[in-house]
Amino acid sequence: MLFAPVTLRAVDDPPSILIARQLAESDRLTVGDVVRLSRSADGGDARAFRIAGIYEPTPDPLRLGAVRREVRLHLPDLLALTREPGVPAGTEYVGNINVALVDPADAQTFSRDVTMRMPGVTALPATGATGSTGPFVVLERFHMAIAMVTIIASTVFLLALTIMLVDERRVTVGVLRLIGLPSRRILVQLFIEGALIAIAGAGFGLLLSLASEGLINRFFQWRYDTALVFVRVTPGVAAVCVAIAVPLGVGATVAASWALLRRSGLRLARR
Amino acid sequence: MTNDSVRSSVNGCIVEATHVSRIFSMPAGPVTAVADVSLRIAPGDHMAIRGPSGCGKSTLLHMLGCVETPTAGTLLFQGSDVATLSDRQRSLLRLRQIGFVFQRFFLLPMLTAWENVELPQAEAHVSKPERRRRTQELLEYVGLGARADHRPSELSGGEMQRVAIARALANRPGLLLADEPTGELDGATGEQIATLLDRVNADGTALVIVTHDQGLAGRATRVLTMRDGRIESEVQS
Repeated sequence: MLFAPVTLRAVDDPPSILIARQLAESDRLTVGDVVRLSRSADGGDARAFRIAGIYEPTPDPLRLGAVRREVRLHLPDLLALTREPGVPAGTEYVGNINVALVDPADAQTFSRDVTMRMPGVTALPATGATGSTGPFVVLERFHMAIAMVTIIASTVFLLALTIMLVDERRVTVGVLRLIGLPSRRILVQLFIEGALIAIAGAGFGLLLSLASEGLINRFFQWRYDTALVFVRVTPGVAAVCVAIAVPLGVGATVAASWALLRRSGLRLARR
Repeated sequence: MTNDSVRSSVNGCIVEATHVSRIFSMPAGPVTAVADVSLRIAPGDHMAIRGPSGCGKSTLLHMLGCVETPTAGTLLFQGSDVATLSDRQRSLLRLRQIGFVFQRFFLLPMLTAWENVELPQAEAHVSKPERRRRTQELLEYVGLGARADHRPSELSGGEMQRVAIARALANRPGLLLADEPTGELDGATGEQIATLLDRVNADGTALVIVTHDQGLAGRATRVLTMRDGRIESEVQS
């Protein structure tokens, strides 16, 4: 809807509206102010409304970056404002209705019910309304692809790093072999160290992600003036990360250690 | 196996090598480091192995110490054929029955002198009070009782070699093997180490030293000279 807010004072009891926070901030409007709204850009047929409240618009990723200059009117006021001159009242119609269910899990059943009982009306669950090519489905697949590439690259990097770290200790391992420590004893020691480092690393990674979660969200919420949450570290995500990181770290340590222990203690010690 | 059993092993020998050879597979072809060597080491022996570089004396020493296994022949350690022992069994032999001293000391740099000497005992499951007593005794034996808390980087070459000798003796081995133990030391310090090794041998530990140092070899009661992987001569005094 096009509107041209004009601040007026002391208009007699105009109908109330709510305005979006962004609009209030950009036009310096406050509760109690009176504005004039029009359905046309030239301001024709403008009507006065009193601001009864300021609301935070529901974050919408599809409208990221758009300035939300929005108002919410009572339905009769909206109809009166937008009705073409000469069109009688009561002839309006709606094309779409959003229905919020108490239990979102009932969406499929509900949509089937409505479709069966009201021929000509199509009811679709919001999550499946866009099918397999909806922007969020595509976005999720994109995230999955990035995650897989990241994990593969991290694995290679981790293995290289672990080989270097274990190799740094080749003299120590060689001396231990020479004075009579069995390979398995050294391997167990390195395994324990690897497991502790992997657990500590995973814990550090989680703390870092929790800390950066707030920073990233605050930055982008400030950047795009939205309440949208960009990053969320859930217990499920954390568990998956730990479940991947710890075995990877331990596995890399064992692989690198085993490669080292296959060599003669004397050659290791002589470096 | 116990240390006492080492001293009263089969035929009075700690080690008995019969026609042992060691051939290394190299990219350019097999290299024979030791060929058809036979020898016996009895408790209390003091043997030196001499010879030019590359003649196989270090490889022979490593076989005697169960670091390498022969590719041919039989090597019995305390009556057990080394070739039939698993890696773990050979490791435990090295831990409990054999002491090693190397030219480059091979101390663990992050541990103090005390910890370096205590480590083999801890791995051999010696009780803590016994470890403490033995470590103190050994560091005093090698004249480093006052340097127990020093790390290798804070010790001189001679002191590091004395710590290495104390470590090699930690589990009361019947056999001490030394590979060029004075090779990185000046004359006076080398003399101190040689005297210390003599004392170790006089206290009952069989000693085999690989050396280029004629003075050090001259202290031994048996001197083997090697050439091209074979024993060229053996002189007993």
